[in-house]
Amino acid sequence: MTNNKIRKMLAIVACVLALVLFAVGLINLPKRGSESGLKVLENYRIQAILKHAADAAGETPAAYAEKDTPALRTVTASYMDALSEFERLDNEARERYREEHYAEAEAALEEKHRKMSEAGQDIPDNYTVEVDMSGYEAPAEVKAAEVKEGEAYDVLRNALAAIYPSLDAEKGEAMRDGFRKMLYQPDDGFAEQYDRYREVSGAKGTFSAFLIRHADDIVFAGFALLVVAAMLLYSEWLVKKLGIPRVIIGLFFILLCFMTLWCDLSLPTLLSNTVVRMGMNAVMVLAMVPGIQCGISLNLGLPIGLVAGLIGGLLTIEFGIPGWGGFLFAIAVGVAIAAVCGYLYAQLLNRLKGEEMSVTTYVGFSIVSLMCIAWLVLPFTSLKLRWPLGTGLRNTIGLDSGNFRHILNNFASFKIGKFVVPTGLLLFMILSCFLVWLFSRSKTGVAMQAVGNNPRFAEAAGINVNKMRIIGTVLSTVLGAVGILVYSQSYGFMQLYTAPRQMGFIAASAILIGGATTSRCKISHVLIGTFLFQGVLTLGMPVANVLVPGSTISETLRILISNGIILYALTKSGGASRA
Amino acid sequence: MRKEFDFRSILRNNAVTIMFVVLCIICLCYSGQTVAYVMFELFGRLSRNAFLVLALILPIVAGMGINFAMTIGAMAAQIAALWVVEWGVGGLGGFGVAALMTVPIAAFFGFLIGKLQNKMKGQEMIGGLILGYFANGLYQLLFLFVFGNLIPLKAPGLVIKGSTGVANTIDLSTERGFKYALDGIWRLPFGTALYIVCGALVVAMAVMFILKKIKLNKLIITAVAAAAACLLYQIPAVAKLFSMVNIPMVTFMVVGLLCLFNVGIMKTRLGQQFRAVGQNRTVANASGINVDRTRLIAVMISTVLAGWGQLIFVQNMGSFQTYGAHEQVGLYAGAAILVGGASIRKANNKQAILGCILFHLLFIMAPSAGKNLFGDAAIGEYFRVFISYGVIALALVMHAWSGIQKRKKAKAAAE
Repeated sequence: MTNNKIRKMLAIVACVLALVLFAVGLINLPKRGSESGLKVLENYRIQAILKHAADAAGETPAAYAEKDTPALRTVTASYMDALSEFERLDNEARERYREEHYAEAEAALEEKHRKMSEAGQDIPDNYTVEVDMSGYEAPAEVKAAEVKEGEAYDVLRNALAAIYPSLDAEKGEAMRDGFRKMLYQPDDGFAEQYDRYREVSGAKGTFSAFLIRHADDIVFAGFALLVVAAMLLYSEWLVKKLGIPRVIIGLFFILLCFMTLWCDLSLPTLLSNTVVRMGMNAVMVLAMVPGIQCGISLNLGLPIGLVAGLIGGLLTIEFGIPGWGGFLFAIAVGVAIAAVCGYLYAQLLNRLKGEEMSVTTYVGFSIVSLMCIAWLVLPFTSLKLRWPLGTGLRNTIGLDSGNFRHILNNFASFKIGKFVVPTGLLLFMILSCFLVWLFSRSKTGVAMQAVGNNPRFAEAAGINVNKMRIIGTVLSTVLGAVGILVYSQSYGFMQLYTAPRQMGFIAASAILIGGATTSRCKISHVLIGTFLFQGVLTLGMPVANVLVPGSTISETLRILISNGIILYALTKSGGASRA
Repeated sequence: MRKEFDFRSILRNNAVTIMFVVLCIICLCYSGQTVAYVMFELFGRLSRNAFLVLALILPIVAGMGINFAMTIGAMAAQIAALWVVEWGVGGLGGFGVAALMTVPIAAFFGFLIGKLQNKMKGQEMIGGLILGYFANGLYQLLFLFVFGNLIPLKAPGLVIKGSTGVANTIDLSTERGFKYALDGIWRLPFGTALYIVCGALVVAMAVMFILKKIKLNKLIITAVAAAAACLLYQIPAVAKLFSMVNIPMVTFMVVGLLCLFNVGIMKTRLGQQFRAVGQNRTVANASGINVDRTRLIAVMISTVLAGWGQLIFVQNMGSFQTYGAHEQVGLYAGAAILVGGASIRKANNKQAILGCILFHLLFIMAPSAGKNLFGDAAIGEYFRVFISYGVIALALVMHAWSGIQKRKKAKAAAE
């Protein structure tokens, strides 16, 4: 049998298996809402209640089979109704309160951070705004629901006291909070309740219950098998069309998507984060495009542009220009500095045709470490930027609503379920891509690409090769400056010192993942590459944390992927001949 | 043929070295450190780093530029060191076992590096750099998730409870480790060491002369220089400069052996092949040399030597950062050899040693000079990192430039 036939057979087997899994899953999935599913839940709930009450009373748990009476079930069911009604109302009221006081809390937090920075402390890297709930008072309807819940609870406790004599009112009151938490949590679904009850009761599961619990996982597994089958059938075509690394990374991304589903993580939230990170990195990745098109290959000297952008951002904070004006000012200054530096840098590169890659890397590194000294000695005065004691600028500079923190992210952003769409960020990304695309269609752009494709031919056609390379390099550097500002506003921090050093590599690897080579690229490569790369990183971290808790495997993953893809591109860029 | 003394061409060809000498003098003036202390530090750093710098010579001669993938050799050494500590083979025995273990691991890694670099001819340096980063990812996987988890480690201090993987620092100063295994065998004060070295040098030269390998005037020059050095040392003021220096004889002997190896191998057939491949791959291929294989061997030797160099480094330091000790090895060694006047196509022992001395002199004095000049030690720290990267960037630019100038001249001549 040939290789091809084996693959086809395997694909058919996978398809059949997938169909079986679909059948099993789809039969079991509706059972969650139906009688048999509720029955399963109720069984476990009673067991959990009995175990919990026994623990609270300090007695050995009663045998479940004897004590599970219809009477207890009725009492439990009515308590559940009262409890969920109360919790629902209470959570709604709290959410309303939180929304009303959010702005206040945010302002308070910023005030606190301002004080912290004046005192010379570092502001934590990732903070969330916590609303102080001490002023919250439950409205009347919530209170009424609570009274009802209390009554139902007393009935339930009495029923339990009949089983465990030592469960008096005092012990009953003591266990009440734990009881509530066990029985009800916001956003409860079948799976969450099932897991919680089983954990508390330690009850043995039955196979049919297991099928209902994991019905969705089974359906996902079916989908995964279909993907596998498709891969087996079309692998050759895919590899030919996309190249091995992209197929591997694409498959890895799909695998991670399924893993998040199997680990019961929220895929919409993670995909939303992926989109945000795509938007925040895309402009930096876009900076690679003019570089590749004009023939300087991957612009690993991107840190030059990044540093220029950072200076723009620092000046905005120094002058205290708020909001959009500040952001645009930062971009304008960054672009101006980047254009000048890019021009000088291009002059250097024009004298070193054919050896750009290693030179750009080390020139970029040198600039970053030179700027490390500059950050120490530049005469900025704002305390947001400086260490109050000691010399120099801070390592990370926190942006707040007075500057341009999240200015693009929050612009006209809206939610679809758990998926937050950062409209402004995406619009900015699309606009930048469109402008670069437009430029590449212009007369200059076409000439520039001709230089990149074949410098000798371009020269023969009367194009000024050096000028075109200068245009491409300057454009790349300028986009780098804009890119770091977009990145910073989304991240909420500006990172100085050695942080920009590796960013050129990250941008380069993203565009390579998207399908570019060291001499050819398109805008679509930028978008696909950034999405895939950031997607793998964003999904990889929580999945890795479920598999190996507390690990830094996600960072390792980034190192491997980003450097691996650059190595692959280098091996493809020629030189395989013996001589 | 009499060489014309052209001051400008000397200046141009040795710009980096001269600049470094000037920088060192400036730093010495402003650092406020005594010469005796600087000398003490310098000899310590030389004993640690010279081997690593010398390990770079072969790939340069073979036309592959600076082997930034030497960090991978250092990783191999650290894997070996970890297991030696785990087995508890302390002292010189431990060092020997680690050195032996490094050979197959580093040779295997070197084989892979060479295979990959043969696929990216002309881009070896950037390829090596990124390969080093990539390997660092694999190294982290190995030390975070395999060692200590899948393969349990028993030695105390290697695994810290509550965190995953091998501990951040591996201590070699316990009886399980091999701190000073090589340095501590035979230590001599500077004066005694100087006499011994001068004596040995003269005797060696005399033997060479008797075997008719060298001419008489060379023997005389060596003898006079040795005598002068010994006499100079008799001046108390000079002797005082070296009063703190203690020479680890065996370590420097190993470094000396490596120098001899570098010279000796160039006289063999293999060495000639290295040189031929380095000068022109096409010509070498046409004359029947297996270019890929030659390059592969050069990288493998360099990787193994880098591993040994890292072992010498860590036995002197007494401990190493598990996840960071290897990262800067390639950068510092590469910068050092370029400072000594090597280019990415030409290098020899003298340049390596001179570069190592100058580079580390600056490293010793830059922080305190920075502090005295600008009131901040961090400036000196960043300055030396900048210098390291800057020197490499400059060397690359100058190399690319001279290549293009040559091509232009050739073109002009052809027309």
